[in-house]
Amino acid sequence: MEESKLVQQSIHGDEEAFGALVKKYKTKVFNLAFGLTRDRETADDLAQEVFIKAYYALGKFKFKSGFGTWLYRIAVNHIKDHLRKTKKARHISFEDLHKESRLSEEEIHRRENAREKERRIKLLHQALQALPEKHQIILTLRDVQGHSYEEIASMLRLSPGTVDSRLHRARKMLRAKIAPFLSQEGVNHEM
Amino acid sequence: MKCKNAETLISRDFDGLLAVEEKEALERHLKECSSCQERMEDYSFMIETLRDQDFPEVKAYFWERLQSRLKEQRIYDVWSLWKRWSLRAVPLSIVAVIILALGLVLFLPQPKEELSQTEALLLRNSLPYPETLTFLEEEGTENKGMQIIFTAMEEKQDTRRYIP
Repeated sequence: MEESKLVQQSIHGDEEAFGALVKKYKTKVFNLAFGLTRDRETADDLAQEVFIKAYYALGKFKFKSGFGTWLYRIAVNHIKDHLRKTKKARHISFEDLHKESRLSEEEIHRRENAREKERRIKLLHQALQALPEKHQIILTLRDVQGHSYEEIASMLRLSPGTVDSRLHRARKMLRAKIAPFLSQEGVNHEM
Repeated sequence: MKCKNAETLISRDFDGLLAVEEKEALERHLKECSSCQERMEDYSFMIETLRDQDFPEVKAYFWERLQSRLKEQRIYDVWSLWKRWSLRAVPLSIVAVIILALGLVLFLPQPKEELSQTEALLLRNSLPYPETLTFLEEEGTENKGMQIIFTAMEEKQDTRRYIP
C-alpha cells in the first residue's frame, strides 16, 4: 500500500496501518538512535518513544514533506533532548577513554590488530558523543546514515548551505578530538 | 592554497562536492604539505569508519512492545486528564456551592410573617382593645387593678372572657 494512504489511515486511528509504517521505518530510527548513543537498550527505548510521539502527533502531519522526513525530524529532536540530558555522563566516559588510551600506549605493539581496530572505532564513537548535539547529529545523519544534504536540510529545517558549513565544522571538531590519539598510535588506514 | 582551505576541501571531497579544478588544486597541495596529508588520512579514517560501522539488530517484537506502550499511554492519558480536571474541580465546586448558597439566601421568597391580632385589627382600622376600654375608663385605681386580675385569670382558664 502507498505510504500516504497508510499515513491517512493512521491519522484516522487505524493501528494496523501505523504498524506498517513502524515496520518500514523502525530500523532507520533505531540506527539513528544507536549511532548517537552506542547503546542498544537506549536506542531501542528511544526508537519506541519516537514512534509514540509520532503516533500522537499524526494529526499535525500536513503532507508538506515525506512521512520519513517528518518522522526523522521527530527522532532527531527527541534524541537531541536525550543527549542533552545525558551530556555529563557522556563527557565523563570520553575522559575515561582518554586515560585508557594513554595507558594502552605502552602496550600498543602487543595488541592484536582486530582489538586495536575495535579500540580506535570505540575512541572515534566516544569522541563523536562528546561533541555538541548539533554537530553530533549532523555527522550521524551524513556520515553514519548517509543522508543527502537536501534530506538533512529538510529534517533539521536548515538551508543546505548551513548543513554544508555545520557538517565541515563538525568534522573538524571530531578530528581535533581524535587526532592526538591517532598520531600517538599511528593510524593504519588499510584496516 | 592555505592549509585551512585545504581542510574544507578535504571534507567536501568525501561528499563528492569538489569541482575538477578544486580537486586538482587540493591534490597539488597535498603533494607539498605533509600536515595536510596527515589531515587527509585522519579524515579518511574518521569518515570511512563512521560509514562502515555495523548496527545491531532491532530488538525482537518491536511493534508488539510499541502497541502495548501505546495502550498504557492511552490509559495514562485518561487517568491524567481525570486527575487534572478533578484537581480543578475542587476549587470550582467550592465556588459553586458558595454562589448557590448566596443565591438561596438572597433570591428565595421569604415566608410572610403572620400579623398579630392587634396588627390585623389596626390594619382594618378597628380598635384593637375594645374590651379593655371599660376598665381603662374606671376611675378607682383599686377597681381597675381588680378587673385586670380577674380578666387575666379568666384568660388563663380559657373559660370565658370578661364582658363588662
